[in-house]
Amino acid sequence: MTDMIQNAVEADATEIELAFRETAEWIEFEVRDNGKGMNRETQAKATDPFYSNGQKHAHRRVGLGLPFLLQTAEAAGGKATIESQEGKGTVIRFRAQAQHLDLPPLGDFAGTAAMMLTLMQNGEMKITRSLNERSYTLSRSELTDVLGNLNEAGSLTLLKSYAVSLENDLRKAG
Amino acid sequence: MAKLTLDDLRKLRDEKKKSMTQRDANGKRAEVIVGMGTCGIAAGAKIVFDAFLDEMEKAGITDVTIKQTGCMGLCFSEPTVEVLCDDMPHVVYGNVDEKTARRIVRDHLQGKALVSDHIFDKPSTDIIKGAK
Repeated sequence: MTDMIQNAVEADATEIELAFRETAEWIEFEVRDNGKGMNRETQAKATDPFYSNGQKHAHRRVGLGLPFLLQTAEAAGGKATIESQEGKGTVIRFRAQAQHLDLPPLGDFAGTAAMMLTLMQNGEMKITRSLNERSYTLSRSELTDVLGNLNEAGSLTLLKSYAVSLENDLRKAG
Repeated sequence: MAKLTLDDLRKLRDEKKKSMTQRDANGKRAEVIVGMGTCGIAAGAKIVFDAFLDEMEKAGITDVTIKQTGCMGLCFSEPTVEVLCDDMPHVVYGNVDEKTARRIVRDHLQGKALVSDHIFDKPSTDIIKGAK
């Protein structure tokens, strides 16, 4: 998921939305960005682990982010899809069975969310995290307004505590 | 911990700012950049990132910038961490685990001494502009 956010940032997106939904049956997420997008041909190639556009690393012949995502979804009884339009942006959707043996553990969502929010240097990122019927939202612009530069160690620590408190509250109620 | 609101967060920030202006008077710039590519994450960069935050909080460091970057082309020595300090050499550390991250905060950022056994010389040539 972090990889998908990083792809969006590297595609020069100024607006990124992550919606993460967890129920007893499914783990689902959607990353929507307004970055440069991909044409049909690049989109098809992007799922090949031995393809990279070579812009970031000129001599590299592998690109593993999307292939790993697709592989994980399929292994865990779900599916991942890519919908992209050149010049408009990309939507990545992931769905997997929550109880599937091959689904990696969810890990520390709040800490990851705090990290993802600081990946972007300009623009808006919104993370909506829901567990069953309840949810919370973290907005980069709102948090920058309160904390200032999110990349400063002091702000980052507070941002993380804030995300952890919302996550704990959600888990307690969920 | 009780659920925080944005107002609580603003108050905490103000409290922290007050203590920060009292402490940081030297005006030196420091930046820590953690490699968060697929390789970095797989090798434990998230744990390293958290360790940096935790150790800086313990040491009362609030003004260091912590950034993330993609793969630096050093997948074999992930997690990698680049440290830029005004009065120190520009260094890339490799194979950084939680313990090393804490050492970087204490020795490099605070003690102004390099963590020599984890120094990785230079970023891979394919990401340096103009390199062939």
